[in-house]
Amino acid sequence: MSDPRAPLPGTAYYTYGVVPLDFSSAALDGAQGLGERPVEIVTGEKAAALTSVVSLDEFGEEPLRANLNDRDWLERAARAHEEVLERALADAPVIPFRLCTVYRGREQVLELLSERGATFAELLDRLRGTVELGVKAYLDRARFLEAAGAAPAPASPSGREYMLRRQRERTLDEEREQFKAECGRSSHERLAAVALAAQANPPQPPEVSGRTDEMLLNGAYLVEAAHGALADAVAELEQTYGPRGVSYELTGPWPPYNFVPRELAET
Amino acid sequence: MTHGDRSLSRRVDSGPSPRGGVAPAQLADVLERVLDKGIVVAGDIKINLLDIELLTVKLRLLIASADKAKEMGIDWWEGDPFLKRGDQNGALEDRLRRLEAAAGLEPADRSEPSGE
Repeated sequence: MSDPRAPLPGTAYYTYGVVPLDFSSAALDGAQGLGERPVEIVTGEKAAALTSVVSLDEFGEEPLRANLNDRDWLERAARAHEEVLERALADAPVIPFRLCTVYRGREQVLELLSERGATFAELLDRLRGTVELGVKAYLDRARFLEAAGAAPAPASPSGREYMLRRQRERTLDEEREQFKAECGRSSHERLAAVALAAQANPPQPPEVSGRTDEMLLNGAYLVEAAHGALADAVAELEQTYGPRGVSYELTGPWPPYNFVPRELAET
Repeated sequence: MTHGDRSLSRRVDSGPSPRGGVAPAQLADVLERVLDKGIVVAGDIKINLLDIELLTVKLRLLIASADKAKEMGIDWWEGDPFLKRGDQNGALEDRLRRLEAAAGLEPADRSEPSGE
């Protein structure tokens, strides 16, 4: 290693995100994190970073590329990253970093904090007292068809019955797509109305969501932490659209991944 | 999917759900966030953003088209260790078939585009 600033040979500082100076380290008790040692708080003048000392054998440029392409490794890393931020979130606002933000050493993390401290502090102030909640909505095809009055298939249909049924099914497919789009849009609007900020992401395909029902909404909402308005709105939507086969899933609280800027603004 | 013991139980799950109780966050939800969202600051160890973007694309592709592709005899992902994942797709297929049977439906024609 020829980098003169590298403090510990063979290691680097994995950085999960940034918290305010009043963050209590007790929130991280029991957090596993990445690497062998406990999560370390690196404190700058205006904000602090949550870090773990990790091995370059695992997080160096080359190994990292290979590891990211290993699904099990990726899952472990993603869950550890998320767990540290979630625990922190229970105590204070957090700015979540993208997975695998790695610095050579503590010194470099301090540099980041000193260069970007003001931006971080300002963003943390805005996020204080808020959390991100996720709402996904799914359409149960069978229930939708039932509500649309589709007759169950006869045990041994005649040729004509079969053709008619196929035709009816095609029309229902179109109706279903239209309904999904409308329901997704109006659900998002309703939820956005009670949120500080809202973001509709592309619905996950069934194989990613792990459910056979089709996802029609994949939304993220920034809300006040102790506020039940979003859950109330979800319950209301369930009453409205439930009879047509729609179910809602509320997830979180999440660190505000969807509500931090993608790129850090220059200070 | 197994992911050890997780003492965090702040997940909320509204309404009647086939998965009872409090579940850990679904992997797809976590990956979607940690790979695709969150602030990007330049670390010293560079992972090309392109690599990450490729990953998210892979994740979506994975799977978005697995059924369709398989039907067409395309199985390139079988050779990709990242995309290879037990028989999850098989299990899904089975569930789907059972649901369709229960709903009295013809098995869906999965060669038709399913819309965006």
